[in-house]
Amino acid sequence: MAEHVVATVGEIREGKRKIVKIGNISIGVFNIKGEFFAIKNICPHKGAPLCKGSVQGMYVCGDDLDDVRLINEGEILRCPWHGWEFNIKSGKSIVDPNRYYVKNYEVTVDREQPVDAQVETFPTSVRDKNVIVHV
Amino acid sequence: MADTGKPNKLNGIIDCDVHPIPRSLEELHAYLPSRWHKHYFSFSRPFYNHPHHVLRLDALPEKGGAPGSDPDFLREQLLHQFGIDYAILLPIPNITMWPNPTMAADLARAYNQWLADKWLDNNNSDGRFKGSITVAPQDPQAAVREIEHWANHPHMVQVLTDSGSGMNYGHKQFHPIYETCEHYGLPFAIHPTSEGLGINSPASPGYPTTYFEWSASLTFSIQAHLVSFISEGVFERFPGLKVALVEGGSSWLAPLLWRLDEGWRGLRNEVPWVKKLPSEYVRENVRVTSQPLHSPENKEHLLQIFEMMNAREVMMYASDYPHWDFDSPIRTFPKMDGDLKNRIFYENAKDFYQKLP
Ligand code: FES
Repeated sequence: MAEHVVATVGEIREGKRKIVKIGNISIGVFNIKGEFFAIKNICPHKGAPLCKGSVQGMYVCGDDLDDVRLINEGEILRCPWHGWEFNIKSGKSIVDPNRYYVKNYEVTVDREQPVDAQVETFPTSVRDKNVIVHV
Repeated sequence: MADTGKPNKLNGIIDCDVHPIPRSLEELHAYLPSRWHKHYFSFSRPFYNHPHHVLRLDALPEKGGAPGSDPDFLREQLLHQFGIDYAILLPIPNITMWPNPTMAADLARAYNQWLADKWLDNNNSDGRFKGSITVAPQDPQAAVREIEHWANHPHMVQVLTDSGSGMNYGHKQFHPIYETCEHYGLPFAIHPTSEGLGINSPASPGYPTTYFEWSASLTFSIQAHLVSFISEGVFERFPGLKVALVEGGSSWLAPLLWRLDEGWRGLRNEVPWVKKLPSEYVRENVRVTSQPLHSPENKEHLLQIFEMMNAREVMMYASDYPHWDFDSPIRTFPKMDGDLKNRIFYENAKDFYQKLP
């Protein structure tokens, strides 16, 4: 398994995602409450670009059928085409988890920011109230 | 996205259900008399709205605007990506729900002029966008004038209205519309929407509660209109009339025709103008579009349904772009023999739409 630096921690804020390409594979990287998850950007139903879907929760009933509640807020990805729901953490579909699942990938965060994941910076200085960039 | 050419050795693909929408109400209002502007203030329905997204989220044009509002982006994302030769464009103005027939007729005219302007006469140098002439059946005379006005437009290929209605479409009051369609060789298409809204009855015995229930029920009104066309003798009175049943599904067709054929054998005397088996009228005059195609666990079952309903002759491919229940031409259908595939994806529509080159 090769490692690919795809973003800096600050680049994908909570609740946001970034779609990246690794070789030929398009992958969505999601930040759910500070944890990162990556899943393939192809819906197992009919091939939509899954990671362009909306991130939401899901409604379920309690023991009483009219007791409707929202759970797993921010963890459910809804396909941009037919609206199937997938659990971002596991890649499994909500309605048919054994048959329809999206490939997910391990995500790690380096403790220290790798140098090559940073935006290149240039030294600046101030002289006579002018900001000067030194390239 | 690259042009993938013609996948799967098809002769081509004709997509019979593609929805363009105006970029904004202002864009449409430019074509609508100002007296109606404050009445037509929203494209969407007051209820039965989709709980998540009725328009594909990835179909948002890069340059902004709603899915289906940018001809260049639609050409790229649908025609080029899937190798589609012609897109039959069906705007969805929810026209039949309005109680004022004059407003409905003006709305139809506005949609037609807008469609010609933004999609057919301009932004269409390759001629792959083909349009539908929207008519308001609330005013059949105005509908006739509207058809006459657009009939010779090179890219208008059919006449269109909503399946939502207060009256089944075989009824006499609509016959002038069919006479005009027949005269110009333009198919008459009905597309679901507007059921249970405005002046229209629901497609079910009462009002559905949710979008889920409402949308599943739309297929009932398509079936009811078909039964009405046949039993009122529309295809005997206008033998050249072709009818397209769009987005109403199709797997119901075989059992419905079995029932009609059987009923006719005993009840023919009541409808003496129905001179042939109902299934024969369908074979000659009616086409159904494929979307939304079912996905049974066993794909073989779908092929059996195709066989029973005579899909080889009556089914035409449709994607329903950019709507949420989009059927891609690549992963929606089961493996089929080459002839069946060619007929569904291309030949049947090529024969049906006389004005396709
Ligand atoms: S392609 Fe994703 S739900 Fe159908």
